Amino acid sequence: MKVSPGALALKYVFVLLAAAVVLYPLLWMVTMAFKPYPEWTTVSGLTWFPKNPTLQNFEFIFYGEAEGLVVSLDRTIVGPLISSLVTSICGTLLAVVSGTLASYAVVRFGLAQSLPLSVLQLRLFPPLAVMIPVMVMWAFIGAVDTWWGLSLIYGIVTLPFAFWLMKTFFEEVPVEIEDAARVSGCSYWRVFYRITLPIVKPGLATCALFVFILNWSDYLLALLLTQKDWVTLPVYMATLTSAMGGQMYGMKAALGVIAAIPPVVFGLMIQKHLVRGLTFGALKQ
Amino acid sequence: MTDIPTPASQTTQSEKRKGYWATVARDGQKMGFWFILPTMLLLLFIVVFPLLMQLYLSVTWWTPLEGIPWYRAWEVFSWGENYWFLLTDPRLWGALWRTVVIMGIAVPIQFFLGMALAYLFVDKFPGRKIFYSIMLTPMMVVPAVVGLMFFLLFQGTGPVNDHLGLPADFSWLTDVNRAMISVIIADIWQWTPLMFLILLAGMLGVPSDQLLAARLLGGSNWQNFLKIVLPRMKTVIIIALVLRAVECFKIFDLIFIMTKGGPGVQTETISLFLYKQTFGELEWAYVAAIGLTILFVLSVIAAKGLSYMAKKNG
Repeated sequence: MKVSPGALALKYVFVLLAAAVVLYPLLWMVTMAFKPYPEWTTVSGLTWFPKNPTLQNFEFIFYGEAEGLVVSLDRTIVGPLISSLVTSICGTLLAVVSGTLASYAVVRFGLAQSLPLSVLQLRLFPPLAVMIPVMVMWAFIGAVDTWWGLSLIYGIVTLPFAFWLMKTFFEEVPVEIEDAARVSGCSYWRVFYRITLPIVKPGLATCALFVFILNWSDYLLALLLTQKDWVTLPVYMATLTSAMGGQMYGMKAALGVIAAIPPVVFGLMIQKHLVRGLTFGALKQ
Repeated sequence: MTDIPTPASQTTQSEKRKGYWATVARDGQKMGFWFILPTMLLLLFIVVFPLLMQLYLSVTWWTPLEGIPWYRAWEVFSWGENYWFLLTDPRLWGALWRTVVIMGIAVPIQFFLGMALAYLFVDKFPGRKIFYSIMLTPMMVVPAVVGLMFFLLFQGTGPVNDHLGLPADFSWLTDVNRAMISVIIADIWQWTPLMFLILLAGMLGVPSDQLLAARLLGGSNWQNFLKIVLPRMKTVIIIALVLRAVECFKIFDLIFIMTKGGPGVQTETISLFLYKQTFGELEWAYVAAIGLTILFVLSVIAAKGLSYMAKKNG
């Protein structure tokens, strides 16, 4: 349909306005990360772009100290960064592997028909309402503040997403292909491993990235189940806030930028499947 | 696919052949069992056992400071006192009320903004792809980082006051009323894109030939939207609203980073209340009782909702 130039111009006005609202907080944090101390507050006048751009903030959170700053950190970003990576990756592996296997069995063999709904229920409740026994259990088996303890809970809470996402991908694989392979004498395992899995490979990658974003974004579980050694990035960011008396805007912004980059990049990579993932496969794009 | 793949020619063949397909099917079932096992074990581990433990702890006075391990919590048995107490705890009901207020304001606004954005993006225009990506960014940013971003924005000496021409002592996050507004703004900023994404997917699913026909018959854009687009988007709208409402009920990261529930308890939601009871007051048995109650109520609501939906559709 033809759109009149006036309507198109109006559309651009609204779209640009929306984009400005979206970018305003983001841009502020990003530029803040490159601003030296005097430019953080209104005292010397706020500007969008740093007058004297500096990498001091990043230097400070990586080395614990920076030139011209009297304070120093007893704990740098390196530990939390490694912790975030390790626990997110292990949690993702656990969720994707068990979710993939279970959804295949549900889709192809019609086993455990009640499983999809009971898995979904895991996402319904506020985590804090069910965390008391989990914390007691984790303390009991010595999983508090360990990489595997955090990975385990990550794997469990993101399992529903992995399960439902893979379920929709498996449902799209024509059963005839598998039957053909089976008739030619392939065992069930071989059919799954050699035929079905390669077909859903793109879906599997999407699923893994999606679950990784969810794990990386967690704040609450790490807050409850780690204390010191395996604190993740968001928790570290918050402790930095309180330890510094809330005045280290530049460092916090630098941390925020580092924590925000992976999920945004991965999220844009899997844009096409976001609807499917976020609605547990109820909608496709 | 529960059926054994049995091509027509196979069925008429010898017993031996039938036996072969039966074996294959049994192998499939066997493998399916092993496939499901990890998920079942994880569910068992995280649902059955913790639920029993929560029920047990919730009828005691046990706290981690008690000096006795959790399995001996019966020594401080409390009968139903925790449940009785939660009915009359003004702080709990206040937190619940504030959670509902945030949901009641943020979710509808997100819905209308998301719908408007989806309408803007439903037709192609130059630059649509880039703007689409920009629009989706907020929901991919780590919620804790969004909290930090708005914490920076709403500082007295921050850019919001500066750009609006307000003095530096015009506080947002420490003001009784504006703290709540700030939190709601942050939530709207982050989650409108989710609404937009889902609603756009639904809008694109409306058959274009129907729209074209309506246009040819002289329907105005607004009429077409109300009479053709909206009815066909009903399921999508319900999904989007339910999803957002459920997530909004759990809201924690944003508020915890921005205001820690303050000033006082002005922005304390259910999750923040539970967190403070867990770590501030160390009332673990009480938290267990509240948690179980929430679990029960939400399950009942979910079951009712599901059966209502099933009735409507079938």
